[in-house]
Amino acid sequence: MIQNNVIDQSKDITILELLDRVLNKGVILTGDIVISVADIDLVYVGVKLMLSSVETMEQLKSGRSIVQK
Amino acid sequence: MINDLIYVYCVSDKLPEPEIDLASNGLNMLAINDFIVFFKHVPGFEFSEENLKRNISDIQWLEINARDHFMIISLIMGGCNVIPFKFGTIYNSPDSLTNFITEYSSSLIENFDFIRGKEEWTVKIYCDRISLNKQIDELSEEAAEMEKQIMASSPGKAFLLKRKKYDLVENEMDRLCTQYGQDYYDIFKNLSKSNRLNNLLPKEFTGREETMILNTAFLVCKDKVTDFINTADDLRKRDENSGFFIEVTGPWPPFSFISIKEKQ
Repeated sequence: MIQNNVIDQSKDITILELLDRVLNKGVILTGDIVISVADIDLVYVGVKLMLSSVETMEQLKSGRSIVQK
Repeated sequence: MINDLIYVYCVSDKLPEPEIDLASNGLNMLAINDFIVFFKHVPGFEFSEENLKRNISDIQWLEINARDHFMIISLIMGGCNVIPFKFGTIYNSPDSLTNFITEYSSSLIENFDFIRGKEEWTVKIYCDRISLNKQIDELSEEAAEMEKQIMASSPGKAFLLKRKKYDLVENEMDRLCTQYGQDYYDIFKNLSKSNRLNNLLPKEFTGREETMILNTAFLVCKDKVTDFINTADDLRKRDENSGFFIEVTGPWPPFSFISIKEKQ
């Protein structure tokens, strides 16, 4: 479906995609204070941990084992 | 509490029309040379270098503020061309901001010339391999040929051929994904001025069951946008039974098409 209202759309956009746009793109390296590339890498590690822990929770809830034997 | 830092959202080359309610969003704008800069005063306890670094590791804080960044730019984009700034770009003083805008004027003008009259649209293509698998004999000559052999074989040979067909079908599905992905890419490339390939997102990030096979941002002239959307609709109808799904979203702030070269 074509979505024309970007503001409504931004509510649906996943955190990873949002960060991909606002942290990696646009005018960069120009302010007195900017977030460094190393810090951005850490952000992604954090987001991945958060998402993987959500996944882990879902697996636990559905009774599946995390370690596939 | 002193809001003494300047958090920049974006720059425009003219005043927004229709006018935007800046005050209710806590926004300010400042004319510097030929540009309008949209910004907010923010407190050091949240946005100083040290505090910003600490805060971005708090995913909740990051999500709220990153969404705010995105929404404000989208709001301003409704009234004028914008060059979006990266999340968390902060100036210590109006003088420092003015110096940046002055120093990078020519680069900003080049970027405005590049994006003026155009919009960023994203095309994502997904493949539902279960549907594709069901259609494989129609879409792959090799798979159809092997199916014929299976039908004409004794039960024992058919059993072995079916196992062989399983591997063939997996390879053929991969080949078709590449072929369709390239085909979609070429079609939209011809309708746009520029494009940027984005990373393919795994299922846990897209929330969809299907596999993403293409994720590309296109810069489309405003007078071509209707064509772009209609083409997507036509392709959707053409391919929905084959297991390929197309998702077109936009217009986005042109994050993917801004390039400001840092001066040494």
